[in-house]
Formats: sequence, C-alpha cells, structure tokens
Amino acid sequence: MTLYQRRKLANRVALGFAGVAAAIGLFWLASILWILVAKGVAGLDLQLFTEMTPPPGSDGGLLNAIFGSFVMTLVAIVVGAPVGILAGTYLAEYARYEKTARIGEIVRFVNDILLSAPSIIVGLFIYEVMVVRMGHFSAWAGAMALAVIAVPVVLRTTDDMLTLVPAGLREAAAALGAPRWKVVVTVSYRAAASGMMTGILLAIARVSGETAPLLFTALNNQFWSANMNAPMANLPVVIFQFALSPYENWQHLAWSGALVITATVLLLNIIARVLAARGRSNGD
Amino acid sequence: MTTTTAQPRSDFDARAAAVKAVADRGRRQDNIFRGVALASALAVLLVLGGVIASLFIGAWPAIREFGPGFLVTETWNPVTDRFGAVAPIYGTLMTSAIAMAIAVPIGFGIAVFITEICPPWAKRPLGIAIELLAGIPSIIYGIWGLFVFAPFLQHHVQPFLIEAFEDVPVLEALFRGPPYGIGILTAGLILAIMVLPFITSITRDVFETVPAMLKESAYGLGATTWEVVWNVVLPYTRIGVVGGIMLGLGRALGETMAVTFVIGNAHRISASLLAPGTTISAAIANEFTEAVGDIYTASLILLGLILFVITFAVLAAAKLLLLRAQARAGGGR
Amino acid sequence: MTAPQQRREIKIETALGDRPKVEGGEVPAEKITIRDLKFFYGDREALHGISLPVYAKRVTAFIGPSGCGKSTLLRVLNRMYDLYPNQRAEGTVLLDGEDILAKSKDVNLIRTKIGMVFQKPTPFPMAIYENIAFGIRLYEKLSQPEMDARVESALRKAALWDEVKDKLAASGLSLSGGQQQRLCIARAIAVKPEVLLLDEPASALDPISTAKIEELIGELQRDYTIAIVTHNLQQAARVSDHTAFLFLGNLVEFGPTDTLFTRPKDKRTEDYITGRFG
Repeated sequence: MTLYQRRKLANRVALGFAGVAAAIGLFWLASILWILVAKGVAGLDLQLFTEMTPPPGSDGGLLNAIFGSFVMTLVAIVVGAPVGILAGTYLAEYARYEKTARIGEIVRFVNDILLSAPSIIVGLFIYEVMVVRMGHFSAWAGAMALAVIAVPVVLRTTDDMLTLVPAGLREAAAALGAPRWKVVVTVSYRAAASGMMTGILLAIARVSGETAPLLFTALNNQFWSANMNAPMANLPVVIFQFALSPYENWQHLAWSGALVITATVLLLNIIARVLAARGRSNGD
Repeated sequence: MTTTTAQPRSDFDARAAAVKAVADRGRRQDNIFRGVALASALAVLLVLGGVIASLFIGAWPAIREFGPGFLVTETWNPVTDRFGAVAPIYGTLMTSAIAMAIAVPIGFGIAVFITEICPPWAKRPLGIAIELLAGIPSIIYGIWGLFVFAPFLQHHVQPFLIEAFEDVPVLEALFRGPPYGIGILTAGLILAIMVLPFITSITRDVFETVPAMLKESAYGLGATTWEVVWNVVLPYTRIGVVGGIMLGLGRALGETMAVTFVIGNAHRISASLLAPGTTISAAIANEFTEAVGDIYTASLILLGLILFVITFAVLAAAKLLLLRAQARAGGGR
Repeated sequence: MTAPQQRREIKIETALGDRPKVEGGEVPAEKITIRDLKFFYGDREALHGISLPVYAKRVTAFIGPSGCGKSTLLRVLNRMYDLYPNQRAEGTVLLDGEDILAKSKDVNLIRTKIGMVFQKPTPFPMAIYENIAFGIRLYEKLSQPEMDARVESALRKAALWDEVKDKLAASGLSLSGGQQQRLCIARAIAVKPEVLLLDEPASALDPISTAKIEELIGELQRDYTIAIVTHNLQQAARVSDHTAFLFLGNLVEFGPTDTLFTRPKDKRTEDYITGRFG
C-alpha cells in the first residue's frame, strides 16, 4: 500500500467514525423522543388537564401539578427576569464604559458558573434561607429557587444582546442630550428587544423543567392548592414520585406529564429561536 | 457677551432655565437607574456568597462531628448517625468519568461531521436539533433511563458483558455480579447521552472559529479532510475544545435527576460497574426530605457543599479556558 | 470671547454659487474657540495641542488622511468621548465663551446645543415620527399639534418631508441609506441646536444621496454653525467656508477654503491636496 493509499484509508476510517458517531448520537436522542411520545400520548386526554392527581389505583389527571408549575414559574420569572435584565444592563451598558469594568468581569464570570451550577445546590440554598427560617415547605420557596436559576439565563442573554447594539446608536441618542438611562431604556432596549425576549423565554423553558430545586422547597401536594405559603404540587416532582412508584396508573401519568413538559420546553425553545432570528434580521 | 441670538434675552433665559431643570432631573434619574442596575449585578455575587455561606452553616453540625474524616469514611448509617462521603464522591466521579469517556469521542465525531462532512443544507437543522436536545429537562432522561434503558441493559447488554469478560483479569472485576439494570454503569451511560449535546454544540462552535484560509491552505497542500481536522482544526481549537469538555464535565458532576432514577442509591463502593451505587446529588435528592435528625441533614448539606466546591472548580477552569480560546479567536470578551 | 471691535463687515462673494463665501483676512464671529486641545486614548496622545476657531453660521471642514485626528477633534466638541472611560481631553473649548470641557458643565446640556450626525446612518429602531420626536421630548413638553409641526419642519429642513410624509409611522430602518442619513440630520436639527457636527456624513452613501446631503448643508448653514469632517477633498471644497488640515494629530493649516485649496502655505497641505499622500 502506498503512502497515499494509507492516508486515504485513514481519512475514510476517521470520517466513517464521525458519521457513525453522528448516527449513534442522533439515534439515541431520537429514540428518547420517540418513546416519550409513544408512552405519553396514550394518556394525553382531557382528563389529564382537568382532574387532580389521583391516589394509587384510581383515575385522575395532573391539573394541580400543571397549575402549580405554572404559578411557580410565573413568580420565578416575574422576580428573576427584572433582576437579570437590570444586572445584564449594568454589565453591557455601564461596566464596559466605566472604571468598574473589573466588577463587570467578575459578575460575568460568576454568572456563567451559576448558569451551569448543579440546580440541586440551589434547592439546598433556598431550603436553608427560606424553608428553615419559615419552618415549612412552601410554593414561595419553590418559586424563589426557580428565580435563582432564571436570573443567570436572562442576565447572560441581556448582556450579549445589548453588547450587539451598535455603539453608534448609543452615541446618536447621547448626542441629542439624552441622559444615559434614557438612552438605555428607549434606544438600547428597543434595539435588543427580541433578543432579550429570547432570553426570558429560554429562562422559562429552563425553569419549567427543573426538578431538583423543587424537591425540598415546594415539595409536593396531592391536592389542589393555590396557597403560596404551603407546599404546592408541580409537574417535575409529580413525575419523579409517580415514575418511581410501583403503581401502574401513576407511572402512566408520569409519562404523560413528561410528554407535556418536553413539548412545552421544546416549543418555548423553538419560539425563542425564531424570535432571535427575526431580531437579527431586523437589527443593524 | 455671547453672539447675537434671534430670540429676545428674557425668553432665551427662561428656555435655558427650563432645559437646565430637565437636565438636572435626568442626572438624578441616571444615578438611580445606574444604582439599581449595579445592585442587581451585585445580587449575583450575593447569591454565590449566600450559597457558600448557607451551605457551610447548614453543614456545620456534620463538619464539627466528623471533621476531615467525612471525606475518607465509607459508612453511611442513619441509624447510628455515622456518615462519610466516600461512596457518593466515588459514584459522582465514576459516573462522570464513564459519561465523559463516551460523550467526548462521540461529541467530537458529531462536531466533525457537522462542520466538515455533512452537506450544507443539513448543517443548520442538525445544529439546531442538537441545541434543542440540550434544553430537554433532565428528568426526561431519568424516566427514559428507568423504564427503557435500564431494562434494555439488564436483558441484552449486561449478561453479554459479564460473559464476555469472565476470563479477562481486570475487566472481570468491573463487570461482575447480577445484571440489575440499574447501577453506576447505567447512570454513566445516561449522563453521557445527557451531556452529549453540550459537548457537541460547544465543540462545533469552536471548530467554526477556525479561519477558512487556514483550512484552505492545508487543503491546498493536498491534505485529506481528516488530516486537516487533526493537524489544523484541532490544534487551533485545542483550548476551546478542552473548555467545552470541562463544561460538560461540570454538568455531569452536578446532574441530579437523570442519575437519581437509575443509580440504585446504595452507599457502598463496589468494584463492579454493574452494582448499584450513589452520587452526591442522587443521595441528596433521595434522602433529604426523609432525613431525620440534625446530623443526617447536615451531612447531606455537607455533601452538597463538597459537590459545589468540585463543580465550581471545574466550571471556573472551563470558563477560563473558553475565555482564553475566545481571546485567541479575536472575539470581544 | 470675541471682541466686537475686531469684527468687520463680511464681504459676500457670489461667484461660487449663491452661498456666501468669506474673503481671506476678514473674521466673522467665533462660535467655538478651541485652544491648545490635547486628546488621549488611554496613554496615547491623539491630538497634540490644537487651536482653531469655528465661525458662527459658517461651514468649517476638517480634512486630513485617516488617523490624523479629524474625527477625534469633532467628537471633542460635544464631549462624545465622555462615554468612554479611557478617553480624555485637555485644553479649552469655548462655546460662546464658556468652557464646555469643564467638569462642572452638564454634558447633556452641551449636547442639546451641539448636535451631531454620524458616518453611518443611525436611525433608532422606531417609527420615523418617533425618531424625530425622541430628541424633542427629552427637554420640551409640546402639545400634539406643536409636536407635529416641529417634526414636519425638521423633516422639511432636512429635505425629507416629501418622501416620508405618507409613512411617518413606518420604521426608520425601512428608509434607504441616504434617506436614513437625512432623517438623522432632521433628528439633530429638531432639537434646535446652535451647532451641527457632521462626521463624514456622506461617506457611506451613493453619489446622488451625497449630492442631496451637500445641498442640504448649504441650506442649513443659514441657521447653524457647521463643522464637518470629510475625507473627500472635493466635498470640503464644495461645501465649506473654512478648512482645517490636520496631520498626525497636529493642525497644519487653517484658512478660508479657497485660499487653502489654491494657495496652501504648508508643503504638507499641498502634498495632500494634490494627492501625493493619504
């Protein structure tokens, strides 16, 4: 075999491996989604959205869990998004232009770490500062744990998107005598609006699937509860408990719940992506 | 003293005074806005400080009771209140090691496939698919692992592994015992599937920072695709790729739900990868709400603190490497 | 500060079109007086002590090769550099006799008097109407009819009204490059500044749009003091009354545009305007 033939063979083998790797990876991921749909779609009926979580062996739905997840996600975003946006604003609009750039870099660094930090740690943190203080599990604690997870996502996208706003736009507004905050709120925010919205949607997607931080903050509740001061049912924890239970009807509900969550999260991600793409083509 | 203006003096002064009042108000509002924004940014640092402080305080009874011995003790006995972290730490490191051993080469292969091989029309959809998969909640991987993957391993893969390595010295110990389906190996494999999208998308991103000219000059010398990847792309992106791997490792170490379902929750170390074990996050998730007594709870929180320190170090290293890669690629930050 | 007794009757020459041209030696009022101005990007000194007048209701052009400091000089005049922490100016810049570089001066107030138009059109991501109203609303409370009138008059002055009057609610980004630039000029003059700074306002535009902008500059100088940076020598010759030639951060020559282009005193000016470098 000549050297050239050997090189060509090496190339084929290596690229073949890459192709096989791609096939394996995609096959695995596709099979997860397929099984999710296959197992979950059977239970996807009206009952699922209109009835409470049942005791073992009888019929029921996931209404209280869906409601709880919705409420806690909502509170988490209402609390977390403004903090993330303002903090991102500080990094992109102030720290970069000031002698405090160092603080900006540190915050950015820490934020990126919090972005990937184990979410169960956030659960422990909120357990210590809220559940222990208050003496009981509560939906407030669950929502705050989710807010702590939402902030880094929103902060990161806000920072990135504001950084993309051309400096000329800021200068043009400043040249009219606009105070800094007005430049930020009326010009920068408007120019980066779809990107920032993307960040909030991604945060909602991220938060609505989180299980670990809710395990010992919001806990769970077999019944309907709208009391933020009491434990509240939520989809991820219900799925966790029902899936690990020996009861078949609970396991079926777990699959259906898993399908609902995944569909929601994927949908949010897709909307976020479309929005981001539209923002890019509008901008500049 | 000034040049002539069209307006009469008094009118001019009145307008100037009004404008000045608006400007003064603008400056005050500026200070408030900046202050609120700064406070929000500092809140991020406060969260970090709060996490460390609260975990430390919560773990204090266990730290006082066990001291550094906690790190080298295997016992985990709620009845006698004796706790040690060796088993969960081992489980955490072992499952992550298995995950990385599988996800890194496959993720690398997919990234090469996307950037160098696949037809242009498929590039974007593939990239988007990978990124979407990175967003799937980990509990989904967990439930799939428990109901589908573990039984599959139990019936089709593990018996085969046990038989195949029966007479091979070292491997025989790794693949011994009854095929439970759940255990360290299963958890590691599921983690691999979970971190695969992370590693792939970061690797692909850094691959795309390689200037086309650099690759073209190599192709111009008659290099094959593989030779370009191995000798040009990879050396050029080395730091970024390692950063991406570390980021994936950080995720794997801290992942809770995907592991908790299939790890078996046994506080002991077995040589066999087929045996059930536990990880730090799985132990916390499984036991925290049922833990009775200060020492038990504190021990679990101490496990959390250890996990946080480990992941923080790994993620910080990853971030620093990625920053260096970015600086080299000439991108801002 | 200008001593009135120094001012003499300005002789108007109409040979070069209907715009007034200043004859050499006769000095109109100084709107802006720059004295010994130094500018720093971090440790790098970009302007090495520049002294220069900008005459009221005249067009002053800053020319010179890339990197000579002409844009830097312009950006000092409305303290645009204030946005960036590492940039700083030393020396004096008097606007009607008041030092605008003084720390005590409110920078936003200065900018209401000195408007600026940039090299690349910078329409805000909002409606055409809102683009103009934005600056007015900052410092004035107008009724809706008053505001409508102000927006219309600004757009008319910028020679854009006829093109946009039927789509004031459309996004500023939907306009062509030349229209966007005129929108930016309209936005700048809507707040009734006294001085307009133009930073290569036509360099990103096609020849027809460029001609429109130049025509506009001729119109605007009746009401405003204008300083324009340009790398296009013909443009400087066409639109300006006075020209300053900067080279490597120094002011090489300043004088009436006709004189500077026909009888430059300095060898470097001559080399530049005859195209021997830059």
